Amino acid sequence: MTEIQNIKHKTFLFDATRCIDCRSCMIACSVENKIPMDKTRIWVAGVGLIGEYPKLDRASMVYHCMHCEEPDCLSACPVGAYSKREDGPVLYNKDVCIGCRYCMNACPFGVPHFDYDKGLIDGAFIDKCTMCPQRIDNGLEPACVATCPTDALMFGERNDLLKEAHARLAAHPDRYINHVYGETENGGTSYLILSHVPFDQLGLPNLGSTPVRDVSEAVMGLTIPFALTWGAVLTGITVGVHQFNKRKEQIAEEKAKEESEAAK
Amino acid sequence: MKMQISVNPRLRFHLSPLVWILLGLMGIAFVVAMIRYIYGIGAISNLSYSYPWGFWISFDLFTGVAIGSGAFVMASIVYIFELKEFQPLLRPSVLTGFLGYVMVVIALLVDLGHPERIWYMMIHWNHTSVLLEIGICVMSYLTVLAIEFAPVVFEGLKWQKFAHTVHKYIMPFVILGVVLSTLHQSSLGSLLLIQPAKLYPLWWTPILPVLFFISAVSIGLAMIIFEASVSSRYFHRGLELHLLEKLGRAIPVVLVIYLIVRFTELTVSNDLQYLFNVDKDHVLMTILFWAEILLGSIIPLILFSFRRIRQSPNGLLISAIILLVGMILDRFDVSWFAVRHPDPLSYIPSLMAFNAHYIPSLPELSISVGIFSFGILAFGLAARYLPLFDAEDHHKSSTPAD
Repeated sequence: MTEIQNIKHKTFLFDATRCIDCRSCMIACSVENKIPMDKTRIWVAGVGLIGEYPKLDRASMVYHCMHCEEPDCLSACPVGAYSKREDGPVLYNKDVCIGCRYCMNACPFGVPHFDYDKGLIDGAFIDKCTMCPQRIDNGLEPACVATCPTDALMFGERNDLLKEAHARLAAHPDRYINHVYGETENGGTSYLILSHVPFDQLGLPNLGSTPVRDVSEAVMGLTIPFALTWGAVLTGITVGVHQFNKRKEQIAEEKAKEESEAAK
Repeated sequence: MKMQISVNPRLRFHLSPLVWILLGLMGIAFVVAMIRYIYGIGAISNLSYSYPWGFWISFDLFTGVAIGSGAFVMASIVYIFELKEFQPLLRPSVLTGFLGYVMVVIALLVDLGHPERIWYMMIHWNHTSVLLEIGICVMSYLTVLAIEFAPVVFEGLKWQKFAHTVHKYIMPFVILGVVLSTLHQSSLGSLLLIQPAKLYPLWWTPILPVLFFISAVSIGLAMIIFEASVSSRYFHRGLELHLLEKLGRAIPVVLVIYLIVRFTELTVSNDLQYLFNVDKDHVLMTILFWAEILLGSIIPLILFSFRRIRQSPNGLLISAIILLVGMILDRFDVSWFAVRHPDPLSYIPSLMAFNAHYIPSLPELSISVGIFSFGILAFGLAARYLPLFDAEDHHKSSTPAD
């Protein structure tokens, strides 16, 4: 965890108490990245009314790629179509993608999505938020952040935003759930979330601080040593069984010989 | 060399009606596949944002690979443990394995978004990816199976010399094949390791690969029994009952190991609370779990323990079918039924909206049915034109390393 905090890179901060569900982030993303609205890389989910009268409340949540510090999509992709840039973004390279959709399974947040309505000629690819590298390389904020009218979405260095988030929690303990989602979840994400309703109500999975890819990678690490050992064991058994059978045959033959000689 | 194919007169292959039906099903699948290549996967399937993997993966990949396990089980028995009496069962199971894996590859060519790039797996390696390991293993093992099956083809063509040569050098390939099988049979389970948040706790465990391997061995044994029983009925050939009886004896041993490992793991990881959970949200998972445990392990364990059942052709076949149904249910559970995908909330864009639930569409099923028909037809043709059920004399003289 300390390791993560020392990394200098860009991060989003989303504050659900500030979101007014205007969805201008979706429009901005669509325009900036030239994505049709029905294939948006960002979507705003409303929880609807919660609580009981007269203490009613509502919440909405802006979803896009969490840009994990240790991305599971990157670990899962068989051909290495994913990469994590040092300054934050998790990027997808459509030139090597084979369309297996394992990344969609692997992502605990269900972020990558696939063009199911494109044939071979158009080419069907995975799509997801890129953190607008074309903008951040020029010192601009991603389109969704730049357009957000209430500063519900903010963008900056991870350390600064973590401080900001904890400052808000300290200043208004009554307003927030006392937790910064994404600080440790799945090994830390580059998308931090503050909320006044429980995070699972926002549709966020309940994840530990170790990335979900750890077990799978540990098992994968055993593959080569196991294969070599198993191969050696099987060779040993083969040779052993063969020698044993040969010896048995020999003994049987000798016995038969002796017997036939004795019979003579 | 002149091609001389002799039809085995003992085998009566009822040609017309069944073959026409199979060809028809293949034709439908071909047309549907063309629609998919032109208009996209969405045009023929119900796969979605929430369900990137569906029936094709559960049936063609998970089940296809599992029922191909007879090939490595039989190869280990005959070649590695030198139990030569089982030789008559070897060829059909190697062929089933080979065809099973060919079917897996064909299905992937429909399921992958970019089937023309399937070979990228050979040049772009992401060493942390379980799917890469499976891809590499399946490709290599398909080659190994082709080599293991080559002598049969050569014999059918009367190229005895080639058959003899392949046979002479077969041992390294057999061992490689068993290693590759162990790796990818277990790695199919590892595929789900990255989804601890999505797969129901009764199934998600770090030892999924171990469970998959043990169950693959039991599936392999049951498949050999199933195959021999069915083909003996269909082709009116003799049944190797005494051999099948011996294989049947091994099944309870494998299943006991499976049950011990599985329930020990559930105990250790503190998942026993889910075993009898009948809450509204959990009851379906509980039913699925017990269905697969009963059908796949407990009932076959009991049935195969009785000598009388093992010695009756019907008893063997029925017990094998029950085991296969239960174990295939396990593959479906792990890859589909027990996976909880993110459920989008009230506002969702249209690409994600259409289902948080998944039921395969008819065209989707027709692809799998067509591929399966191809497998049956290919097996039938091989049985008709190749010495598939003959353990020829020359094997005895050409066993390796003599």
